[in-house]
Amino acid sequence: MDRTEVQDGLYRKATQEYGEVLARMAYAYEADPDLRRDLSQEMHLALWRSLAKFNGRCSLRTWIYRVAHNVATSHVVRQVRGKRIASAFLTLEEAENQTGDKDVEVYTNRNQALDRLFVLIQRLDPLDRQVMMAYLEDLDTESISEITGLSAQNVWSKIHRIKNVLVRRFPRGGRNAL
Amino acid sequence: MPCDELPANLKILWKQVGANPSTFSAEQLRRETSRLQAKRRRGQIVLVACMLAFVVSYGLSFFLFSNRLARLGGALTVIVCSYWLVHALIEQARVAPDAGETDGLSFYRAELEHTRDIHRWLSWRWLLLLGPFILFDIGVAQIYVRTAPFLVWLMCFDCALLLAAFAIWFPVKNFRMARKYQDLIDALDAAPGGDQAHRAR
Repeated sequence: MDRTEVQDGLYRKATQEYGEVLARMAYAYEADPDLRRDLSQEMHLALWRSLAKFNGRCSLRTWIYRVAHNVATSHVVRQVRGKRIASAFLTLEEAENQTGDKDVEVYTNRNQALDRLFVLIQRLDPLDRQVMMAYLEDLDTESISEITGLSAQNVWSKIHRIKNVLVRRFPRGGRNAL
Repeated sequence: MPCDELPANLKILWKQVGANPSTFSAEQLRRETSRLQAKRRRGQIVLVACMLAFVVSYGLSFFLFSNRLARLGGALTVIVCSYWLVHALIEQARVAPDAGETDGLSFYRAELEHTRDIHRWLSWRWLLLLGPFILFDIGVAQIYVRTAPFLVWLMCFDCALLLAAFAIWFPVKNFRMARKYQDLIDALDAAPGGDQAHRAR
């Protein structure tokens, strides 16, 4: 098998196993549907290109998450330049402290809860977004650490904050919505 | 009252998103790559052509006008524009960090630093263009002060516009953007277990 066939094969495997993850990432990084489509295409393109250099030093999953998050991070950084983000990002610590009464609503509708979750993620600092999304995807601390480059302890502490933010912002609604 | 089970339920909700992901065949991606490369090449050609047209027109003024200021302004404009062109081409040839090899923190920092550096570079280099343009305008105004007084007013207006744009508007805008990105880098460094800790690992 030549290199191109290996690359195409890896890409097929990646999209079969992680296509939905990539779609969720695009949702979480971009609210505008047109830009989201572009971002999604950009992620797939970058992933396919990068797989030509995939050397197996990390797992395919880690590689896919890194590529997708890094492409999305570039997208976010470009948005800052394009003035689409007026102020600095929200950190998890700030999100945790900012939770006021107006943020605490009971959601009876799953779409409402999801919309709110996406709004929260889209306001976060790109690194915190990565941790939040990886947490929602059920990745373990070590994998998140490998993807983000944060220490395992720091990831653990961020996950703890994420849980606090989610529990405070989505009281009972998540359960009722299901 | 908060519910401890909630994050788990949100995870289930979360995973219901993206049930119909976009799919691309390797062939489609290959075509898209070729299209993007062609677009990039076209962009470079247009950039070089525009800059060269600009440089040549000012270069010609060196031979067309006998006024010293106009000739000096024209020659300096050619030098400064060539410098900008070379920088733009170097910038376009920059290789971004490998998305698969680089972890999120390093990649994010590299992107922020790169964008900050672009704005820093631009912030004061507008002033380099200002001097030659104004010298050129003054030289042209001197040539036509008797024969075409309206041109003198036009050159004064042009100088005022150039001053406002190249000495105030563009530098301030770029300086602010550079600060904005620097603030994001500082926030990254200051975060618990942030970049400083990452470097120490």
